[in-house]
Amino acid sequence: MKILAVDDDLIILELLTQFIQAVGDHELVTAESGSEALDLLRAEAKGTFDCFMLDIQMPNMDGIELTRRIRMMSRYADTPVLMLTAMADKRYIDGAFAAGATDYVTKPFEVAELQARLGLVAGMIEGRRARTRKIFAASAVGAQAGSTAVELHEPISIHDVDNVIEYVAMENYVQQLTRNSLFGSSTFAFTMREIEQYHAAMSPFEFYSLISDMAEIISDTLHGHQFLMSYAGSGTFVCITESGWRPDMGRLVDAVNLSLARTELYNNAGERLHPRVSGGDVVRLIWKSGAAVMDALATAHATAEAASAAHGKSQTDYWNMGQIA
Amino acid sequence: MKDMVDELPGLAKVRTRFLEMLVDRQALIAEHALSAWEGETLQDINGNLEAAKAILHQIAGTAGSLGFSDLGVAARSCESEVIAHLEGPDADLAICPGEIIYHMDLFVKQCEETLNTLA
Repeated sequence: MKILAVDDDLIILELLTQFIQAVGDHELVTAESGSEALDLLRAEAKGTFDCFMLDIQMPNMDGIELTRRIRMMSRYADTPVLMLTAMADKRYIDGAFAAGATDYVTKPFEVAELQARLGLVAGMIEGRRARTRKIFAASAVGAQAGSTAVELHEPISIHDVDNVIEYVAMENYVQQLTRNSLFGSSTFAFTMREIEQYHAAMSPFEFYSLISDMAEIISDTLHGHQFLMSYAGSGTFVCITESGWRPDMGRLVDAVNLSLARTELYNNAGERLHPRVSGGDVVRLIWKSGAAVMDALATAHATAEAASAAHGKSQTDYWNMGQIA
Repeated sequence: MKDMVDELPGLAKVRTRFLEMLVDRQALIAEHALSAWEGETLQDINGNLEAAKAILHQIAGTAGSLGFSDLGVAARSCESEVIAHLEGPDADLAICPGEIIYHMDLFVKQCEETLNTLA
């Protein structure tokens, strides 16, 4: 991997240089400020960096603003960004994830932790390359309706929607929550009804566009609250709030569906789409730790999918009842 | 916590550089602490505390990886104390808490001891 590390502390950059040399197989480029990093990125003809390691606290432009600027470059829209954080930076972590960070590494560094994080990043990059190859392969044959190039159950990276982060970043975010106070944190989810039908009938691009539009509508509906959201696959959007806000799912689902009803969504054939969502349980994270927090995320996800399935069944039952009557 | 120096021999020169920089850094922390203590305006006091905090932050972020865990922990403790003041209810008053200066003074002494031991 080719990695760009940005930190205003020369000792950190030297430490990372030594470390990267020791683990081998990676190339490290360093910059001492956000502006120097941006100059480097602008100077290169095409996206050559596979990963970024950014300090959070830097003078003039901090690591969060730098992450935001990097994400605005289309070639780096989903390149892994690891934040380099000291204990005192924990309060900035939310902002870093919201800006597009993928994960974080705690200072002072330990070899094993750094190695593990870089290993995860390398795995992510490989997985992404495989998916990209599949999508290109589908495009080459015309991306016909019914193509399964984008698997239904796969998380999709959504860009440029406020507070929407990658699913891997969401999992990492939840992991760091376990190390902090979980008081006031809750997770909840929305699932698009009839997602299987949409997936089966649409080209990968149409499906991606629909998921993106849906993310934007949910994000706009939650505007004004502190939250992070991610598309987990199978039509489900998982959200987390740390602010103590306890969402009323009934009202939220109504608000999202009202917004969907007012939004004109079309497929490539010009036919109007009428997607709707169901909401699951709000699961509080207080007193949970480690695997229990991940379980809570899974519960929010599963209950939203169950609500969507129950809604579908009730529609079918309704028509069956009509036939009997 | 395991020191990276034990695991990566190439870090010896980074450690030497850290110690060279520690000489200047501890002097700067002492200077900012004194200026904050003697400062009369909010800008003087908080500006110097902020500057000292930035240096403490850097030491806290690297000392532990280079075999100076105690120094790193002490730096983090001082940094947290400064943050608590700068973000606390007295942040808009021209007050420099004596405890912060006392702890910074202890930290500067700890730096000196570390440097003297390795000299």
